[in-house]
Amino acid sequence: MTIKHQERLKDIQTIKSQFESLNYICSEEIATAVYLAYHLEKPVLIEGPPGVGKTELAKTTADMLGLSCIRLQCYEGLDESKAIYEWKYGKQLLYTQVLKETLGEVLQGAKGLSESVKKLQSFGDIFFSEEFLEPRPLLKALKEKDSCVLLIDEVDKSDHEFESLLLEILSDFQLSIPEIGTVKAKKDKKPIVFLTSNNTREISDALKRRCLHLYIPFPEAHLERQIVQARVPKISDQLNKQLVSFIQELREMDLKKVPAISETIDWAKTLILLHSETLDAELVRQTLNVILKFQEDIETVSGELASVVGRALKNQ
Amino acid sequence: MSEIKSTVVEFVKVLRNADIKVSPAETLDAMDTMHLVGLKNRAFLKTSLSMALSKTPEEKESFFQCFENFFSFKDSETKDEPESGDDFSSEEYSNEKTSEPSPGNGGNGGQESRDSAELDETEGESSLQPTSRLGKLLLLGSRSEVMIETIEAGRTVKVNQIIVFTQKGLYTRKIMDEMGLKGLQDEVKELKNDGSTDGRNLARKLEKSKETLREQVRDYVEKQFLLHADETGKELREELLKKVKLSNLEKRNFKDVQEIVIKMAKKLVSIHSKRRKVFKRGQLDIRKTLRNNMQFDGMLFDLKWKSKKVDRPKVMCICDVSGSVSNYSRFLLMFLYSLAEVIPKVRSFAFSSDLGEVTALFEKNSLEDAMAKTMRDYGNGSTDYGQMLEDFKSSILKDVNGRTTIIILGDARNNYGNPKSEILREIYERAQRVIWLNPESRSSWGVGDAEMPKYSPSCHQTEVCNSLTHLERVVSNLLKYAR
Repeated sequence: MTIKHQERLKDIQTIKSQFESLNYICSEEIATAVYLAYHLEKPVLIEGPPGVGKTELAKTTADMLGLSCIRLQCYEGLDESKAIYEWKYGKQLLYTQVLKETLGEVLQGAKGLSESVKKLQSFGDIFFSEEFLEPRPLLKALKEKDSCVLLIDEVDKSDHEFESLLLEILSDFQLSIPEIGTVKAKKDKKPIVFLTSNNTREISDALKRRCLHLYIPFPEAHLERQIVQARVPKISDQLNKQLVSFIQELREMDLKKVPAISETIDWAKTLILLHSETLDAELVRQTLNVILKFQEDIETVSGELASVVGRALKNQ
Repeated sequence: MSEIKSTVVEFVKVLRNADIKVSPAETLDAMDTMHLVGLKNRAFLKTSLSMALSKTPEEKESFFQCFENFFSFKDSETKDEPESGDDFSSEEYSNEKTSEPSPGNGGNGGQESRDSAELDETEGESSLQPTSRLGKLLLLGSRSEVMIETIEAGRTVKVNQIIVFTQKGLYTRKIMDEMGLKGLQDEVKELKNDGSTDGRNLARKLEKSKETLREQVRDYVEKQFLLHADETGKELREELLKKVKLSNLEKRNFKDVQEIVIKMAKKLVSIHSKRRKVFKRGQLDIRKTLRNNMQFDGMLFDLKWKSKKVDRPKVMCICDVSGSVSNYSRFLLMFLYSLAEVIPKVRSFAFSSDLGEVTALFEKNSLEDAMAKTMRDYGNGSTDYGQMLEDFKSSILKDVNGRTTIIILGDARNNYGNPKSEILREIYERAQRVIWLNPESRSSWGVGDAEMPKYSPSCHQTEVCNSLTHLERVVSNLLKYAR
């Protein structure tokens, strides 16, 4: 990777302030993870509740370094033909057709079977060659000329087998294609790899071992205020404070799904749209569906709305 | 360089004791991280290492704890300046040091430390000097010198291999010896015999410092014990527990056993649950199809499909909970319970005479409750295997098919009742496997009212099973055969 990146990632403070200029407010830990990922050339496995900016971190890193971000969204049933590479079957079939027709020419003058076979052997075989190879995200990331950020999103959604497929690229930045050989990332052009997981299932030890592990929790109030400020610049200080302290209160409650940062931001935008300056119980009741996504949660909170709002306003 | 190495290795050992899984590869990562980050910024080092070494939120929590403990302690070792608030009972020691007038010798000069130089002024005329190595160290050395000496001695006697707390005294002693206790004692004796006032004074002082030192060393050993031994001791205990006969296990071991059982069950499941079976429908696997049909000149007639199915064994467990085997069944139930948490298709039954299904009970209740209820409802009656088989036939046999494995745990002691082994034969023919686990040793299988000789021809496998290791082996085999 180039000197330009070296400079941008030289210490935690630099990373942090650059993230901030890109509207991504991060904690020391997050900055440290990026720093280590670059300098140790290790992938980072990011875990945490949904909506705390796991995916965003990868995208922002790509932005910061001016690299392209190659994203592989994982889902059940994802396999190597969609993640690593696939052969261009149509073209391969055509090729065999063409080959069949030209076979006569190739074998011209050959006497007997063994000689034909010998001639055939000397004939270059391109059936399995780079020309017929369709690179998918992982392979693409390795072949990228100028390094890149590789984001393997929601790796917990994929199958066990797929995790094992990832091991090679994660530890050595290389992929083996049986028909062709090993594709390796160029030295100094290794991609920066982020994997995200929502913890719907336990990630295997083998995978974890190869990664640095970053856990992003819900942010603390002051950090969340900064985030809202950065993402919704039009918001007034007072509303920001009230809103964040209300969300923080909600996270203490026993809910099916607690609101994440993305919900806070959505809510802030909603409130701006409604031209509200301060928070009150009625306003909250009307907009509760922005932050809570389950009817039962909404009911739970509505029941205690007055007291929660009261506490939030007091705590701000 | 080598210092970082040994520090990391020791730290990793501490982490492993705290139940954080750290592989050698991760240890190497940690070394790289330490090189990159350096030791200057503690908070930075902490977050960096936490990313390389701890991989779940729970692990991170224990990691931070270990880090605090380990590195605060370490500071006093690697650096002489105790600036980072080490907790090495050094305060006490230094207080002692300054309040205690020590017989220094102004004329000797040169190698005295700051402390003794100060003290010289309070009691300048004393003409005696301690001659033994330890004595010199105690009275003339600075406290960090003493500390380093202690740690050195600790290394030599391998205090980090301490396993159980009863060894604390032993290691304290060993470290003292290593530091030259004997020389000191001899000297004290000599001084006392000498008879001069100065000599006696010095002897008294030396003895006092010796006590302080002992205190300090014991403290050090204590800390080392907490860091290194707590969990090592636990491992040892677990190993032992695994081998002990289940009937000999006592209530107080219950919690440990439960942990072991859960661990075992998890291990077994992770080994055996990943098998897959290719189906004859679903999405076409073009890649495989093409590949496979190249031999037919590219004509696609042998199609390959993508869908696969995870195949898990269907297990039914029948557990004798009558008086004679209740000690064993408690553990089998426990094992079943843990297994049911990870494999969905375990059905559990319990009986003394009438058979009852406890699957739902297991699902809804905590382990203790489930077991207590099972014991209450079915337990401790007199055994009737014939009745049990009868019940099984009438209500459950219809669910048994070629993929079902049936485990029966019991001593086959039927109180001379009708064994009805023909029903077991019927089950045998329908099920994939019938396994009988008998807690008694093989030699007593035919003795008295035991009906094992009649039952065993209708079992695919009969095993002695009376310790956790047995249990683990049997279940592992079961999962393997279930393919």
